Amino acid sequence: MSAGITLAIPTGRIFAETAQILGSAGWVVPRDGVVARKLLLSNGRRQSFILAKDRDVPTYVEHGVADAGIVGADVIAEANADVYQPLDLKIGRCLMVVARREKDHALMAKPVIRVASKYPRVAQSHFHACGIPVEVIPLAGSVELAPALGLADCIVDVVQTGQTLRANGLVVEQVLFESTARLIANRAAFRLKARELGALVAALEGVVASMATEQEVRLRGDTSADPPKPAGRRRGGEAK
Amino acid sequence: MTVSSILQIPHGAQCFYGEAAGLRRAIEHRVGEVFAGWSYEEILLPLFDHYDVFARGGGLTSSERIFRFIGRQGEVLALRPDFTALVAKIVASRMQDRPGPIRLFYSGEVLRYQPPQAGRQEDLFQIGLEHIGRGLYADLEILLIALEALDAVGVADAVLTVGHAGFVQGILDSLDVADDERRALLEALRGRDRLRLRQILKREPPAALIQIMELFGGAEVLEPARRMADRPGSREALDCLEALSAEFQAIGVGGKLQFDLGEVLGFEYYTGLVFEIHAPGLGQALGGGGRYDSLIGKFGADRPAVGFSLSLDRLARVVSTREPDWTRRQSPLRVAKQKKPAAALQEALELRRQGRRIRIE
Repeated sequence: MSAGITLAIPTGRIFAETAQILGSAGWVVPRDGVVARKLLLSNGRRQSFILAKDRDVPTYVEHGVADAGIVGADVIAEANADVYQPLDLKIGRCLMVVARREKDHALMAKPVIRVASKYPRVAQSHFHACGIPVEVIPLAGSVELAPALGLADCIVDVVQTGQTLRANGLVVEQVLFESTARLIANRAAFRLKARELGALVAALEGVVASMATEQEVRLRGDTSADPPKPAGRRRGGEAK
Repeated sequence: MTVSSILQIPHGAQCFYGEAAGLRRAIEHRVGEVFAGWSYEEILLPLFDHYDVFARGGGLTSSERIFRFIGRQGEVLALRPDFTALVAKIVASRMQDRPGPIRLFYSGEVLRYQPPQAGRQEDLFQIGLEHIGRGLYADLEILLIALEALDAVGVADAVLTVGHAGFVQGILDSLDVADDERRALLEALRGRDRLRLRQILKREPPAALIQIMELFGGAEVLEPARRMADRPGSREALDCLEALSAEFQAIGVGGKLQFDLGEVLGFEYYTGLVFEIHAPGLGQALGGGGRYDSLIGKFGADRPAVGFSLSLDRLARVVSTREPDWTRRQSPLRVAKQKKPAAALQEALELRRQGRRIRIE
């Protein structure tokens, strides 16, 4: 840990975009290592990478085995980790929602609501904050099935396009928060490696800002602008 | 209870033996020697007290983390979740006639319900001190003691991150926000989470809030901080930090100090100087402290104080990775068993009189 900086990055759905942004910021994730399915990579520039499951990223960072990491705000909320969140990378956009069966209009009138979720902590704290008694049923996946199978009255989950919800006869009852990928940092590392981490934050900030400008240019259909560089390409407005 | 359930360990229960136990004792001893060397007097505090003492102490441990139980007369008691409230109570009662400064140190286990959670390292044995007194001298003294204590256990590369409770509060004062909103803002500042700031305020956060998160680094950050300090509270906070910085530089240890004005480090009851101690090799703070001028007043005696504590659990973790030689004991002299025990035991006793470490085999 003492030599250079170690970043925990998630192997899940935002891996490709994450690696791209990091690459543009001068943090190149070694491709051959990824192909070889190694879990601990170094690019020989005092930059190391831990390829982790999304949900383990906050753990690695809070514990300090990684100095910083990149992970969705949804995962951070569930982990309730005591880490710094200095930067929003604005990728991996999705919404944390409560979804119910379309015909189940009286959901909120039930005395006790059964909620299936991959985010039991988020689900529990949301309903409890509203004073609604809930029974949370933790699931590891295919949460959308739970209401149809009668396992739960509703679900708390993240949605990107809403397609899976619709396919399973679910509608959004309430949006809890919007989630995007964040840079998180260990509290001790932020102090002990202040210079290195400061440089990382600044470099990523630059990349994120240029991506935002590019997207704006593209949305305005401003053809006079330079063609977008491949480094920053992303699908625009895919969320919601 | 069946045997198998007796052998289960309740969460948070710890047990040390062998080298780990020796290491912890050795660290405790060395740190205690440093505290005593600055004329801090050891105080042995009760394992439990009335729950209200800790509740009034506040801030340290949220109430759901305190182990409570009912006394024989029906009173609500609690196992100590921290030492500072206990010290405050003793100072306000048994020591109220003593002139200041009063210097006290303690060492022992604190009992907290630790929610099982990944990434958290236990912080259940604390060595700390309290300096009941006001002023720059007191603040400087305890910072220097903290550095010396760490030095004494071979953690010479520790960094003190120093801030001031009054600075952030002063900035928040100028924002005119409700109490619960204020708490949420402090939480967001603690996470350096700009997005969350925007969500709480439901607008773009004022520039001052964004800027204070950048007031982090060497003594050079005090200058821009001075330009932002438009409230008396913030100005006093900066006077305090500038004075600390100047004295540290004059002593020649300016490099040991880092400033962080963007968050309130530590507990809610801090009123002035606050600090955290970090060392390479550990993802959490080794300890921390601060000035708490109104806490003892809650127990009836208005006395300003400053203090800090170190986590023995975390210190032991850092020290053990550095393979210290001072924690090892001399190897014992063997005393062979003989047919007549008295002969062997006499030899053993003689060696013991000479102060040798022995082992009968």
